[in-house]
Amino acid sequence: MELLRPRTIAEATAALRDGAVALAGGTEVVPLLRDGPLLAARLVPLAGVVPRGVDGRRATPEAEQSHEVGAAAATAAPRPVLRVGAGTTLAELEVDPEIPAALREACRLAASPQLRSMGTLGGNLLQATRCWYWRLHSGCWLQGGDRCHAREGEHREHAFFGNGRCASAHPSDPAAALLALGATLRTDRRELPLSELYRLPRDDDRSTTTLAADELLLELEVPSPDASVYLKAMDRKRFAFALVGVAAARSGGEVRIALAGAAPIPWLLAAPDALDEATPLPGTSYKVEVARTLVDRALEAVAP
Amino acid sequence: MARLIKTEKEVEGHYTETWVVVEEDVLEQWPAGPRAVVGQPAPRIDGHERARGEARYTADLALPGMLHTAVLRSPYARARVRRIDASRALTAPGVRAVLLPEGADLPPQHAPEAIASEPGAIGAALAERARVAPLTSEPGYEGHAVAAVAAETQAQAQAALRLLAVDWEPLEPLLDADDAVRRKSLVSEPRVNERGDLERGLAEADVVVEAVYRTQNVLHNSLETHQAICHWHGDGELDVYISTQFVWGVRDAVAERFGLERDKVRVVCEYMGGGFGSKNGPGEYTLIAAELARRTGRPVRCALDRRDESRAAGNRNATIQRLVAGARADGTLTALGGEFVNAVGWDGLSASTAGPMQLLYACDNVRTVEYGARLNTPPNAAFRAPGFVEGTFGLECLIDELAAKLDLDPLEVRRRNYATTDPVNERDYSAKGLERCYQLAERHWARRDDVRARSDGAWKRGVGLASQIWFGAGGPPSYAWLRLNAEGHATVITAMQDIGTGTRTAVAQIAAEELGFPLARVSVALGDSARGPFASISAGSSTTPSMGPAVRAAAADVKRQLLEIAAQRYAVDISTLTVEDGRIVAGGSRSWPVEEITGLLGDGQLLGKGARGPNPTGMRVLTFGVQVAEVAVDVGTGEVVVERVAAIHDVGRIVNPLGARSQVEGGIVQAIGYALSEARLLDPASGTVLTKTLDAYKLPTIADVPEIVTEFVDEPDPHLTNLGSKGLGEPPIIPTAAAIANAIRDATGADVRSLPVTREEMLRALREARERERDRLGAPAA
Amino acid sequence: MLESLELTVNGDRHALDAPVGRSLAEVLRDDLGLTGTKIACYEGHCGACTVLLDGVPALSCITLVHAVGGRGVTTIEGLREHPLVDAFVREDALQCGFCTPGQIVSASALLAANPRPTREEIGHAMAGNLCRCGAYRNIEAAIASVGGGR
Ligand SMILES: Cc1cc2nc3c(=O)[nH]c(=O)nc-3n(C[C@H](O)[C@H](O)[C@H](O)COP(=O)(O)OP(=O)(O)OC[C@H]3O[C@@H](n4cnc5c(N)ncnc54)[C@H](O)[C@@H]3O)c2cc1C
Ligand code: SF4
Ligand code: FES
Ligand code: FES
Repeated sequence: MELLRPRTIAEATAALRDGAVALAGGTEVVPLLRDGPLLAARLVPLAGVVPRGVDGRRATPEAEQSHEVGAAAATAAPRPVLRVGAGTTLAELEVDPEIPAALREACRLAASPQLRSMGTLGGNLLQATRCWYWRLHSGCWLQGGDRCHAREGEHREHAFFGNGRCASAHPSDPAAALLALGATLRTDRRELPLSELYRLPRDDDRSTTTLAADELLLELEVPSPDASVYLKAMDRKRFAFALVGVAAARSGGEVRIALAGAAPIPWLLAAPDALDEATPLPGTSYKVEVARTLVDRALEAVAP
Repeated sequence: MARLIKTEKEVEGHYTETWVVVEEDVLEQWPAGPRAVVGQPAPRIDGHERARGEARYTADLALPGMLHTAVLRSPYARARVRRIDASRALTAPGVRAVLLPEGADLPPQHAPEAIASEPGAIGAALAERARVAPLTSEPGYEGHAVAAVAAETQAQAQAALRLLAVDWEPLEPLLDADDAVRRKSLVSEPRVNERGDLERGLAEADVVVEAVYRTQNVLHNSLETHQAICHWHGDGELDVYISTQFVWGVRDAVAERFGLERDKVRVVCEYMGGGFGSKNGPGEYTLIAAELARRTGRPVRCALDRRDESRAAGNRNATIQRLVAGARADGTLTALGGEFVNAVGWDGLSASTAGPMQLLYACDNVRTVEYGARLNTPPNAAFRAPGFVEGTFGLECLIDELAAKLDLDPLEVRRRNYATTDPVNERDYSAKGLERCYQLAERHWARRDDVRARSDGAWKRGVGLASQIWFGAGGPPSYAWLRLNAEGHATVITAMQDIGTGTRTAVAQIAAEELGFPLARVSVALGDSARGPFASISAGSSTTPSMGPAVRAAAADVKRQLLEIAAQRYAVDISTLTVEDGRIVAGGSRSWPVEEITGLLGDGQLLGKGARGPNPTGMRVLTFGVQVAEVAVDVGTGEVVVERVAAIHDVGRIVNPLGARSQVEGGIVQAIGYALSEARLLDPASGTVLTKTLDAYKLPTIADVPEIVTEFVDEPDPHLTNLGSKGLGEPPIIPTAAAIANAIRDATGADVRSLPVTREEMLRALREARERERDRLGAPAA
Repeated sequence: MLESLELTVNGDRHALDAPVGRSLAEVLRDDLGLTGTKIACYEGHCGACTVLLDGVPALSCITLVHAVGGRGVTTIEGLREHPLVDAFVREDALQCGFCTPGQIVSASALLAANPRPTREEIGHAMAGNLCRCGAYRNIEAAIASVGGGR
């Protein structure tokens, strides 16, 4: 294995084009490389290349706000927006008072202190599923095989939305928070709403993101809501992935709700009663019940 | 004087009566209560070594020239290995030997000569069928060891493992425990225990409750994984460095496998990183390392990684308990019955899950049947009070369901059925402090109304309790030596092990107490079968009650010699002499520092020896306790939070209140994991383990731990040894899960009957309770 | 591929050759003999291998040694005189002791950032260090006693 030393974004993306793998905090990459699911002869460290830290800045033009999926009528006044480098660690975000409560809390309740001080926001958004069949490389559908083992098998931690093919549940707490906050993403080549980073895997393309192999996440733009919250149900009080995570953010009259642990990708809930359309598996119907309670509580928490 | 006697030996509930040679236990027990050293809280004497990272665990040892092992484990729950081609593995870089199972067809190129002539091959590399190591060509569970490779580095061994070409024939696994019982796939004969007449008892009852309880498989997950380093030297002598709970058991098992004289095997374990019952024997990893070491002439390490630990290092088996209880209106039990299915796995002991039902209450009509299902799942291993943890969950929930139906106070029902002699064999208890435990529990139990009143919105609060019964007498043989040097420093020498329970400190306290020394003047040399006498296994809550009396006897032997010399030196009557706080005291008036006498020794030493005396015959020596749990349940999300546990136990004399409290807290923390979050999950079709990693298998974290209040009866058992102490390793983990489940019922009215009480189980139970309530209200008036 | 590197551990500089991909934990334990850092899972799930990188707690088992760069590494061997060591022993905050070095390293970072942590804060900051023996209550007491929190 070789560790490259890119100094610029261009050098880094060039290396990615050649099949190298991006290494941010390494909390996902290192175990996956050791274990097999990820293969790479060359690693591209992103420290010093991808921005790290939080910048305040005023106002996104109306035009840019309008491409947010699920956004109802654009709100009147421009809102303050924070720029968060993709290389910022979760530990830095969890204590930053500038950061909206939902994102701060999502970071605070993610992983463990050590992992939060190593792991970056960019890496977190791109983490792979925790589905045990995937992690134990069972050659399942998402890994290119022809069967989802979880649907018929043990799936208590799995999805209740978007689970027709792959029943995995997206593990990122920050992604749900950012989705509810209506964050946009800047890569080395484009800007897009965070919701467009993710896509449900399809038979012909089983990737869960729209990121090109040589594309780098650089920065997130996070609007400041009037109120936001993140609630997380897990098997223990800390250091566990979300069984269900519910993020809610209110900007003016509009409330957006997003879920972690609900679908193969972070899941935007069009409205609270969209939970009626959930498609739970036998072992995940309890999650719908949990989600109902948490959505009610989240709405109450952000209500004016 | 050594005597030949008949005594009872008990390990984890199994009594065996055997002839043993024992030395008489002539010392009088100390009076009850804290003494100068014993009964005083003492920080661990090896605490600094451990805390500073200086303590060397097996995982930290590296012998010169040591090879590393990778073990090929079956990826299938049941399979046959048709053929293994090891030729590519043999020629891989760094490989020194490959071990293959009997039975599988090995291609001819495996002959060492053929290998040696291949380009790039290492002449020394050998592929042979395992003769001693337990490799199989017919794996019966996922993780069953099939082949092993020794190489210069761990990475090379692992790389070579991937080059073994194995022709597997996967077979249909048997995974369902009830199914196994139907098909008579059992590890042992069903165990039936009966007294009185269950049917008659049920007929006499005013109220009968029936329920099915299920408990899950849980993993020990000691932080130091199972591992050993084996090293042959000299004239066929074998050193084994191993993370173990029983140095002597490993010695005997390894010697037997290799046909060696027992003392040709030396077993060393100075520090070990947790076992909880799973490290009582050598395990296949030790035998593999020993065989590879023999073949290569090099020291060989074989260590399980975390994932192997989760499938091949044992587990607490799952159970299904179909229980019934009958009682009169006043709460007097008339009948207890149960069918217990232990999902033992491929191999292992079917522990006594019916034990609590048999032993805890005075009830005339009791019938239990226990099945040990043999399945294509990883073998179980003893895990802190095996059987009783599972069985107490069922029994103590059942008693509470009964109390609820009778509308009686659960503590009252337990008292009404208090056993004053052993209900199975009518023997007297050597001591029974359970009623005292109940008395001490009253003030915790009395918090009930306040706790319920703190319910708040979706958070419902409640209190539950459960009783504990278990063994813990220990027994002979166990020996200790004690050496006192010229500087007046004493060393206890015994080949026991301290697995983290603090026995090293406890025996130092006992020696110091008997000698009249401050604790700082006693050290303990342990963990080496070549350098100390035989000592007890650290399992079955037996280390302190077995070792303590032996250590005290050794110290008394030295003290006698010390006083004999002092009597001569100071020309005083020996009967007026004692030792207190490191000084020799004559009749309370004159005193001299001990060094004045020991200083006369020069290079001489005072040597003492001590042996564990017999257990009282014809008596039941048991431990007792009760725990009171307070929980909060979020009825909207099914979250359960344990807020407080009060633990009151009777284990005889407490040697070290600080260490004892730690044992209790540790047991309760493990029990909270058992009750709420831990479960080894299998893929239902293939039987492979899904929770192989510590992100998926959820041990409690510090954030999950409630307030814990620990109290002890702390009365020496007058019939048990010169110490009156019983074991404490296991009692605290026994009643917690039932106390939590009972608190959940108190808080919500819902009956949780399956462990762990995850969100789904909690929400299911709440739904059931709501439906029951609706039916009750909706039922037409009579 | 072997690549040389410099590593500062507990203030001592070491020049080493190591294959890219080797973890900091292996280098500490196997190359430098600093076996106080334990490995219990080797995949970032338990905290036994916790060290400080420029004062920030990190899991050495999933840190590539070549990615440490100029950051100073502190292991338990560098914290032997820390008051937490005595506090852990005094409060009996260890049983088998296998998780203990990692606990003390994490706790030292907590106290450096927050000298008087509350019970909640200790629970939050120490949740990444699993202890199978369940010494948690005493771990909390030990940290609180050094932090003057009680
Ligand atoms: C035990 C455990 C528990 C966890 N619990 C939680 C939890 O409860 N909630 C939660 O949300 N998360 C959890 N996580 C996930 C954790 O937060 C992520 O592993 C971490 O944030 C990833 O960041 P990293 O910098 O280490 O990513 P890396 O491991 O370095 O990278 C992850 C992936 O992202 C790619 N990548 C990283 N940065 C970029 C970039 N800027 N541009 C393009 N590609 C990039 C990498 O190539 C790789 O594919 C847990 C992880 C572990 C190991
Ligand atoms: S849920 Fe997705 S990742 Fe898991 S087995 Fe099914 S296809 Fe594979
Ligand atoms: S050994 Fe590093 S986290 Fe477990
Ligand atoms: S003291 Fe044993 S794991 Fe913590």
